[in-house]
Amino acid sequence: MKIFDSLQLGKSIGATCQKCAYFRNDPAVIEDAYPGLTIMSSGFASVRDQDGFCDYNELYLSAGDSCPHFVSRTSEFDQGDKTIID
Amino acid sequence: MTTNDSETSGIKSSGWKEFWSKEDWWAVWLGLGIVCLAYIFYLAGSSISWIAVAPAKWSTLSQLATQFSKNGIKYVALLAACLIVFTTVVSFVGQKPKAFIPSFIFIFIFSTIIYVLGSWDQANRYNLEPPLMALALGLFISNVIGLPRWLDAGFRVEFFIKLGIVLLGATLPFTLIIWAGPVAILQASIVSLVTFLTIFFVARKLGLDHRLAAVLGAGGAVCGVSASIAVAGAVRAKKEHPPIAISLVVFWAIILIFLLPLVSRVLHLPTGVAGAWIGTSEFADAAGLAAAQSYGNLAGTHLGISGTAEQALASYTLIKVIGRDIWIGIWSLVLALISVTVWERSETNSKVQIGQIWWRFPKFVIGFLIASVLTTLIVHGNTLADYNKLVKPSLIIPITALRTWVFTFSFLSIGLTTRFRELAAAGTKPFIAFTCGVIVNVALGYVLSIIVFGHYWSAIVTH
Repeated sequence: MKIFDSLQLGKSIGATCQKCAYFRNDPAVIEDAYPGLTIMSSGFASVRDQDGFCDYNELYLSAGDSCPHFVSRTSEFDQGDKTIID
Repeated sequence: MTTNDSETSGIKSSGWKEFWSKEDWWAVWLGLGIVCLAYIFYLAGSSISWIAVAPAKWSTLSQLATQFSKNGIKYVALLAACLIVFTTVVSFVGQKPKAFIPSFIFIFIFSTIIYVLGSWDQANRYNLEPPLMALALGLFISNVIGLPRWLDAGFRVEFFIKLGIVLLGATLPFTLIIWAGPVAILQASIVSLVTFLTIFFVARKLGLDHRLAAVLGAGGAVCGVSASIAVAGAVRAKKEHPPIAISLVVFWAIILIFLLPLVSRVLHLPTGVAGAWIGTSEFADAAGLAAAQSYGNLAGTHLGISGTAEQALASYTLIKVIGRDIWIGIWSLVLALISVTVWERSETNSKVQIGQIWWRFPKFVIGFLIASVLTTLIVHGNTLADYNKLVKPSLIIPITALRTWVFTFSFLSIGLTTRFRELAAAGTKPFIAFTCGVIVNVALGYVLSIIVFGHYWSAIVTH
């Protein structure tokens, strides 16, 4: 069944949003972007898992997602001589 | 040069780091730490009551002055302890300690004033319920006077409420959770499903996006803002969807904080029953606890309201935490599956991770349950007379006092962070859809809590 094909055990690996240059999930960034979030929840809460913003697709999504527009943070968006550890 | 991931791009990874980077886990460590410390002192024939200071009932200002001249140092010690512990937490999770310290001192001073006012023997006469006072004062300060934005660093509503819930676990017998848990889950599940479907289908009928409908539905049905933000990530919501849900949840949650206790009071509901209704129909944990605690405090002082304050908190927590909050991972998984297989088939090529049931699980619930088990084991074997004479004053009352402090920090923080001008405009259609859910939720919550299970919730035993 298609529904079971869509399920995955464990964390996604490879070119996921977590490693994408367009993805931002710092809790402080999320709280700044959504000013009302801290009234009755928190950017640092477990329920938020590692979700964050995709600045390419303009979505709020899981760090384990992926899409054809992936850009590695260590390539085009490389920040000077800094290498990002994952 | 190599740098840490979060330093360069704000990408936070998960894994073991969760244990010291999420507020939920810190609520568990601190809550259980306090319970263990209290037990160690109790075993040594002492108590943590020295630092777990709370204002006693007073009727004249001279009595109050005497209290403070005698216990002033204890309040300073409590403030110092809170500052040390909470600043450590703030540093670990990645917030700003420099901004947190003055902000927390501000919260502590106002919480002390609220706690003191609530202990005035005429407080009930003037309806000075500490949770509602804290909320109203916070709303007044943030919306009328105004505060600098940096002070928000100490207004950690969620962290305080989660710590308070873990401490609440230490005052609830585990047998009560086992006895009432299944009913709480049944009642909450019925209301959650009906509320979600109402909001979702009304939103769809009004032409709103599937994902926005799901984000709104989760906010109304499961655990308010936390559910909305969790489901938003799971279904890949548009960036502008969560703020709409946040605005609507906050708007209705604040109305219900005042409305549900008021209606319960008019109906003279027993505290356990009112707590169950509030747990079923309020959206966020902190908002509901403010309502449940303020209503529970009326027991014994207002004619016709039976039960105890602890019953209101117990039934509220069972329904809200056990019946609703812990299922957020399941909701997220199911809605994510529907999203990738039905709603947005072409938008992503990724799969739905089953692990999110655990990753999104509100971990503070683990602390709540462990605290309950610990206290039950500690209390086990004591007669009721021993419990009342030894265990309660040395162990339970100090933990309850600390719980009241952190709840007050949280209620005040709700008001201080709620700036109505800054909330996103929700739009008419989301407002209609969400409001339909609120009406169904409150009505169904009333039927289940009062008519169907009323006898059950009025009889819960909390000691």
